[in-house]
Amino acid sequence: MASREVIQYETPLSKAFRGFCAVFLAFYVVWTVLPLFIMFMSSFKDLLEAFKLPAVGDWAGVTVFFEFTPTTKHYYELFANLGFSTYLFNSLVAAGGSAVVSVILGSMCAYSLSRIDFKGKGDLFFWIISTRMAPVVAVMVPLYWIFRQLDLVGTLPGLILAYTTFNLPFAIWILKGFFDNVPYAIEEAQMVDGATRFQALRAILPLVAPGIGAFIVLCILFAWNDYLFAAIIGSGGAKTLPVATRELVQPQNIQWGQIMAAGVVTTLPMMFLGLVIRKYLVTGLTMGAVKE
Amino acid sequence: MAKVSFRNVWKKYGDIPAVKDLNIECQDGSFLSVLGPSGCGKSSTMRMVAGLEHITSGQILFDERPINDLAPKDRDVAMVFENYALYPHKSVYENMANPLKLRGQDAAVIKERVTAAAKLLEINHLLERRPQELSGGQKQRVAIGRAIVREPNLFLFDEPIAHLDAKLRAHMRGEIKHLQRTLGTTMIYVTHDQLEAMSMADMIAVMHDGELQQLGTPRQVYNHPVNAWVAGFVGEPAMNFVDVGVEDRAGRTHFTHQNFSVAVTEEQQRQISNGSRESVLRMGVRPDALSISMTKPSDSCITGKIFVTELLGGDMIVDVDLDDCRIRVKTSTEFSGEEGQTCYMTVNTNKWHAFSKENGKAFF
Repeated sequence: MASREVIQYETPLSKAFRGFCAVFLAFYVVWTVLPLFIMFMSSFKDLLEAFKLPAVGDWAGVTVFFEFTPTTKHYYELFANLGFSTYLFNSLVAAGGSAVVSVILGSMCAYSLSRIDFKGKGDLFFWIISTRMAPVVAVMVPLYWIFRQLDLVGTLPGLILAYTTFNLPFAIWILKGFFDNVPYAIEEAQMVDGATRFQALRAILPLVAPGIGAFIVLCILFAWNDYLFAAIIGSGGAKTLPVATRELVQPQNIQWGQIMAAGVVTTLPMMFLGLVIRKYLVTGLTMGAVKE
Repeated sequence: MAKVSFRNVWKKYGDIPAVKDLNIECQDGSFLSVLGPSGCGKSSTMRMVAGLEHITSGQILFDERPINDLAPKDRDVAMVFENYALYPHKSVYENMANPLKLRGQDAAVIKERVTAAAKLLEINHLLERRPQELSGGQKQRVAIGRAIVREPNLFLFDEPIAHLDAKLRAHMRGEIKHLQRTLGTTMIYVTHDQLEAMSMADMIAVMHDGELQQLGTPRQVYNHPVNAWVAGFVGEPAMNFVDVGVEDRAGRTHFTHQNFSVAVTEEQQRQISNGSRESVLRMGVRPDALSISMTKPSDSCITGKIFVTELLGGDMIVDVDLDDCRIRVKTSTEFSGEEGQTCYMTVNTNKWHAFSKENGKAFF
């Protein structure tokens, strides 16, 4: 096998470019990590301490930032009095439920599209993905009306259905690519070995596991971070974390401490999920697929 | 084990026929090789037997029982695929155990059978590995192992050794033949390599353009090809074809050409005169039915000019230019002719062939 090494030769230009990259990346890290850091710190601060800021240009004053007595009162308030445990549960069920439903329906649909030739298959496939082309806001009103007629507004099943509507085309699109990469001969071998068509499908599922894993993460992320659907379809009975957090901004005052704590509660599970499933996500999204 | 019969089997993809009116009887326990170039319909034939494709019309029977409408799992056949089709996420053991597991066998029986098959194929030290960790030859053995763990009606081998290197291929030819003889299971073996078919099969079915050209033993197919296409496809180096005139000289038919004029035998004369009145025929002669020398042996020899000589270890192939074509002669390594020299070839008239120029059918 040939070497995979990328050959590069130094020129003054490439050196300058590398320097520029280093500076850019440094700023980028600050830009992305600092807000999270401030959120995390502020969630453990009393309101007065949280607003103690050094004067502009006073770099030594940065230490002010770290001078505080840690308190968990915001978290206590969220879970004891504001019902955040319910909202956390709603978020988990809505995101997880739609991911599971989308994966089951999506993998069956993707399998059919990948394996069976029928008339109008190309058109059907395009129609499926075209449902994702309109922005969510554009379909919000009709969707709300439909959900209203079906008595699904403000219920968890309603929210799961709404997320599934948008996740399913995506699931089919991603998973079809993965099924395409699994040689059909493997299923044929299964069938000759004595499997039914359905058993053969089940037997190749481990081969598309990276795709399923990657899709589950994207699906959960979409539902977890969604505000629009949750605010409109889920309003009332199926309130999720983003909506509950938004409600901490009240006309009289803004509950900064609780907002920061709610931000942490919302962000941490996703960061954890990302860490757990990082390997799948990378191999999955690069379509590293199946090698025989 | 079963006898397999094809009765007027057709396979069409849309309007395009891939297999045309196929009739073959494959006896119980025999080794049938389906031979043909790519696109000749041989793989379609095998896939129809396995149940992976529908039969457009006609019948395939196992022991006189039609199997047209049975699902693959109910046909009880075992197949080895060209690309092995091993399950990449399963170990060798699990790959081989799969057909037994799907049939609900006990774990103890599965273990016993898999171990026995692995021993037979000399892969028992690989049982814990995954397919990616195996060489081509090992993968191929695992694929065969998966086929032989149960006792199916029929083995279907779809070019199983096409992807191995030449040396291993030669080795596996012997092994597969021996395996089939040992197990005694009927085998249909698809290949495009005439050497594989010749060396392994009891019967060869030669296919071309979806049609069965000839069904016969390897000897019959090699020594008595029914038409020019079969004659040209079977045998390596390939048969030489030269267009010759047919002339009567003193009551004996001669094949004449700018470079030679050779009399046919009495029986061959009868076979031609029964067959047609064509004045031009295709004469076919295999490279080993010609002998070459640098001195003129007789008047009825073919005169040509050496184009190139190829030494193949034990043999030598000499390409000779005639006035309008080039032919190849197989000779011993002692042959000393050099490029550009005039040489003389004598035909073994018991081993030559004549085909119709119109439809390619063999006279003898």
